Amino acid sequence: MSILQLQGLHKQFGNTPIIRDVSLKIAAGEKHAIIGPNGAGKSTLFHLITGRHTVSSGSILFKGQPIHNRPPYEIARLGLARSFQVTNIFPLLSVFENIRCALLWSQGYKYSFWHLLGKAKALNTRTEELLVEIGLQERRNLPAGELAYAEQRALELGIAIASGAEMILLDEPVAGMSHSEAKNAVELINRVTAGKTLVMVEHDMNIVFDMADKITVLVYGEIIASDVPSKIRGNAKVQEAYLGEVVEEHSHA
Amino acid sequence: MLKYVSWALFAVALIVLPQIFTSILSVSILNQMCIAIVFALSYNMLLGQGGMLSFGHAVYFGLGGFMAVHALLAIENEQMMFSVTLIPLVGGLFGLCAALFIGSFSTHKAGTVFAMISLGVGELIAASSLILVSFFGGEAGVSGDRTYGPPFLGFDFAQNIEVYYLAAAWLFLATVCMYLFTQTPAGRMANAVRDNPERAEFIGYSARRVRFISFIFSGFFAGIAGGLFALNYEILTEQNLNAVTSGNVLLMAYIGGLGFFIGPIVGAIVLTLINSVLSNYTDLWLLYLGLMFVLTVMFLPRGLTGFLMMHRTPWHLGKLHLLAKPYAVTAVPGSIFVFSMVCIVEMSHSNEPTFNVFGFALDPSSFLSWGALIIIACLAFIALRRTLPSLRDAWDTANAIDTKPGVRP
Repeated sequence: MSILQLQGLHKQFGNTPIIRDVSLKIAAGEKHAIIGPNGAGKSTLFHLITGRHTVSSGSILFKGQPIHNRPPYEIARLGLARSFQVTNIFPLLSVFENIRCALLWSQGYKYSFWHLLGKAKALNTRTEELLVEIGLQERRNLPAGELAYAEQRALELGIAIASGAEMILLDEPVAGMSHSEAKNAVELINRVTAGKTLVMVEHDMNIVFDMADKITVLVYGEIIASDVPSKIRGNAKVQEAYLGEVVEEHSHA
Repeated sequence: MLKYVSWALFAVALIVLPQIFTSILSVSILNQMCIAIVFALSYNMLLGQGGMLSFGHAVYFGLGGFMAVHALLAIENEQMMFSVTLIPLVGGLFGLCAALFIGSFSTHKAGTVFAMISLGVGELIAASSLILVSFFGGEAGVSGDRTYGPPFLGFDFAQNIEVYYLAAAWLFLATVCMYLFTQTPAGRMANAVRDNPERAEFIGYSARRVRFISFIFSGFFAGIAGGLFALNYEILTEQNLNAVTSGNVLLMAYIGGLGFFIGPIVGAIVLTLINSVLSNYTDLWLLYLGLMFVLTVMFLPRGLTGFLMMHRTPWHLGKLHLLAKPYAVTAVPGSIFVFSMVCIVEMSHSNEPTFNVFGFALDPSSFLSWGALIIIACLAFIALRRTLPSLRDAWDTANAIDTKPGVRP
């Protein structure tokens, strides 16, 4: 059963089409990677799914429910969380508060001004557990803006998964990391997204072919292939349009 | 534990202060402080905690105050019967209603849009206060009398000191409530939205709704401050809701320090003192206030509270004493420089042939006075520039974490 369904999705900014007739089904529990050259519209596709941009035409169904053109906070409440390509955290709040804020809605606090956070035991325990999970418990009291880059990426991931969303979209989760940092990050992603649906945009082909159950190739806003990794590797269209060199380099290495 | 001790100290200070400073003037200053603190704290709910820069916060203070005076009049005319101790609540509820209405369209965005709307609404209300005479009383304003209505525990609030204790009780209550608000999900999300409204939306919160909630509460507490003002002065005029009052509360919050809950309290105390004490000594107090604001923005972006908090690291490292001597050494030329500059400014302003500045006889027509002051100022400035590097070094040493005990890095 597909958890996310894109149907005939179009998006244009002014007269420039960025996403052209994209239709895609993502099955529940699948690890799905979206790849493509720079400017292919990968991030825009994420923005459309998560409500940051409105769609020009077409529809997006999440668990059978239309979510296109709804505000991001409504989509997030349905259980669709995301991380960002450029680190997007709450820089002045402590690491602990970052995670706790990300938990608030899913724990049912809504806009409450009659609960005291200090007394919310279940919430605070869950926050501590998440801090351990993402390995930042020793940084808990530091303002998030003062963390090292890799730590901020871990926090970014922590904020995305905190709500317990069924589906998680990660936009270049290991971009800008050193080799060893990226390796740790992949382990962390695998651990915290176990059993969930994961969609990620990533440039590192080693990681993509390692992690993904299915790969979608986006070129100039169009899907030119969407299949299991072994078939993507052999797909002539993909090789021609984008992947050829990279895949060869990868297999020679 | 420390939290409860601080609150207890705060309560004790509120009770004891008028017993130490007993003169009519000091009680009147204390009353002003109570009002200013509530107002400044309510302002910081917007700017410091919610990231909304408002140039029109006096609107909620003034509207609350005007409504409170009308409530006093209603008690006086026996249209309503309730104790005047509840007058601040009337102000608060009216401030809340005004914030509900104005916030419904002004909190869509933070940043420039919000600031401009607040400025526009502020001007609009201030202008209409001279037009809608039945509510605002035109230029004369509206006045009432707080001594009517049923006495509260035998007090009729004819004395300023009685008003002080009433205001102090409301101040304590309002401060506790505003502090507790920062500890709730809505209060914490206000910080999150301030930091990053976009990300807040992706964790399930509408940034606009979060801002709106802070805005309503801010209006409520500003209204309470207005109600306290109405009780204390028994008159409200256009001045109480115009841009000057709005600017004043911004100065208080900023000079005190936006990033700390107690920042606006410090700012309100300091500015009330400048306002009421310094203005007795010089006509130029507004100039000094302006300079102080500019210097704070330039050198102490986290305000006076931020400056004090900077000393936490040396304190924890047990090296605070290292700063005592450099501070003292810098303070000598520093204060001489400030003092001589003040004399020069005052002399430029003075029309009198000779006048006294803190006991020094100065004559604006004599070259000797001018020359001496300018030379003293220059010398002090040079001395200051020489002492500053050693202060900076001492500061670095005091903040450095020693890798091994006894080893200086």
